[in-house]
Amino acid sequence: MINRRRFLTTSTLAAASLAAPGLVSRALAQSEALKIGVPVPISGAFAANGKFATIGAVLAAEEVAAAHGIEVSTLDLDTEGKPATAVRKVQDALAQDGVKLFAGGILSSESLAMGKEVERGGGAFMTTAGADEITGVDCNKATFRWSVPTYGAINETVRPIIDALPDARKWYTITPQYVFGDGLLNAAKAVFEEKGIEHVGNSYHSLTDKEFSGYLTNAIAAQPDVLLVLNFGAQSSDTLRQAVSFGLKQRMTIVVAWASGLEQFEALGPDICEGVYFGAQYWHGADTELNRQLVAKVQEKHGFNPNYSFAGSYILSKLLLEAAVKAGSPDGAGVAEALRGLKYQGLTGEEEIRAADHQVIKDYYLLKGKARADMADKDDYAEIISSGKSFLSPEEAGCKMPA
Amino acid sequence: MIYLFQVLNGIGLGMLYFLLAVGLSVIFGLLQFVNFAHGAFYLLGAYLTYDLTMRGFSFWLAMPLATLAVAGIAALIEVVLLHRIYKLPHTFHILVTVGLALIVQELVIIAWGPLGGSVPAPAGLQGVFIMGDFIYPQYRLFTIAFTAVLAGLLWWLLEGTRLGAIVRGGSESPANMALLGYNTLRINTAVFGFGAGLAGLAGALAAPIRGVEPFMGVEALSVAFVVVVIGGMGSYTGALVAGLLVGVVQSVMTTLWPEGARLMIYVGMALVIALMPRGLLGRA
Repeated sequence: MINRRRFLTTSTLAAASLAAPGLVSRALAQSEALKIGVPVPISGAFAANGKFATIGAVLAAEEVAAAHGIEVSTLDLDTEGKPATAVRKVQDALAQDGVKLFAGGILSSESLAMGKEVERGGGAFMTTAGADEITGVDCNKATFRWSVPTYGAINETVRPIIDALPDARKWYTITPQYVFGDGLLNAAKAVFEEKGIEHVGNSYHSLTDKEFSGYLTNAIAAQPDVLLVLNFGAQSSDTLRQAVSFGLKQRMTIVVAWASGLEQFEALGPDICEGVYFGAQYWHGADTELNRQLVAKVQEKHGFNPNYSFAGSYILSKLLLEAAVKAGSPDGAGVAEALRGLKYQGLTGEEEIRAADHQVIKDYYLLKGKARADMADKDDYAEIISSGKSFLSPEEAGCKMPA
Repeated sequence: MIYLFQVLNGIGLGMLYFLLAVGLSVIFGLLQFVNFAHGAFYLLGAYLTYDLTMRGFSFWLAMPLATLAVAGIAALIEVVLLHRIYKLPHTFHILVTVGLALIVQELVIIAWGPLGGSVPAPAGLQGVFIMGDFIYPQYRLFTIAFTAVLAGLLWWLLEGTRLGAIVRGGSESPANMALLGYNTLRINTAVFGFGAGLAGLAGALAAPIRGVEPFMGVEALSVAFVVVVIGGMGSYTGALVAGLLVGVVQSVMTTLWPEGARLMIYVGMALVIALMPRGLLGRA
């Protein structure tokens, strides 16, 4: 049965010698336990992302347990990708399981709803969801976001491609009709306007669509130079797979603004991905210290390279748990205080949690799919074309953080 | 012109929907059995095709092998489990087949992982057909032609052969068929395996178009039910007409009202239920 909650007890007490006294600020007693909820879609269209996210959280819990000599457990909460279900699961975890820390919420709609619920429950919530509102107009004391929001994702993909392909003046977009898709679309329209690009059309689709041939027929009729795919997860894989089968790769440049990373490349295969541009929050090949460590650990423990779902959940969980250890309690106020303004060496290099809106300032990557013959190993699907940090200021994003 | 293209695209979609739904319709028509595991057989057909092509088998070999394997597995499940619940109320059918679908789905995840995969179109059908501004993948054209031929064969099998007469007889009056000396248990098993095999074939055919992922059966089941309800439970011709109708409506709506394209097929189903409760071609 996939629609379930289950505890994953991740570690018992680690040897006391592992926690070097004095090196970390640790107020939690060794007998105390930390529990972190992982609200992600474990069933439904985004289940593959959720399943990797749960394993990533477990690794973070094990590391924190070992480093501080405390017991840490994770609680999987299957949101099914639905805001109402997500809220109900979070309410239950707060009330019945005493969970205060929550790392997850892959979809923006569920993350926005959960963030408000966690704030009401006195906890702390960190997400990888993309909608600008999460750390913008809907920011709150309890909610933090690791991933680059839609504004940055568009600016770090669309801008470099416009610069690299000056003759590609006509763009067509395919957009899922919910807060995340609209965020990407609005950001793209702003860049188009600024750069004098002709937006020759957009096709909205629902979150349940699997068949994109009709939308692709619309795109073909508009004769664009670039097809910008603004959906996520299995839907963007379906769109891309069907676009390639319609021969669009030979007729236009295809850009997937928000790829779900390695898992998407694995599902699609190199023949489909070759020559396609992908925006990415994380790439296992990024040359940073923490990423090298993570890749080595995951390879050793699971025998695969970490993908975005895994890595995102890992870093969210780790940041929250370390903050709870530092605060001496998982209560939201103390955790938020420990997180605000934190600078650290993260998976993408230097990262900082902006105090004003709880947005992590980090790199976003532009990747380009490699030909099968150019792959150095089975996961070497893409090369990093560029990376950078693009963020609205807290004021521009509309965040008025409650006191 | 765009609407003409969308109608053509919708016919392609509709043929796939027909293939997906006809097995469900035949099973319901003969056995009066509501099979919520139908999407799971579609899933299995797609994944077996994926697995075989990954192992180096030609798609042309993988497709029939996957279809036969699904039909065989379904027949075995019918013999071991499902025939015991035919006489129970429909709620038991739903309970058991939903459970079966979840088991198959989880087994697929265990066997092939939570990530999906791609199945390349067979060599010779990887290009596109271009007619003016209209572009259409050659493989999709093949599925239209293949399904049209298959639809004709199915019609002949069900309407023009002795075997079809037995199947239809079983649908009309199982008790009389038993009195005439036919082994209805064996007919039931064969029909269930045949219907599930058609779902497996739909999965195999859809794999190069949609790829494979563990939850594809859920979407397929919902589309199959929409087609069967619109066409009329148990009606072969109804499944064909409804499949085409749903495909064309969905495709044309992606131009007229893209965000509501998928919604419209359910609105269509609701209208048919309200105005023609037995479906377009359902029997009284």
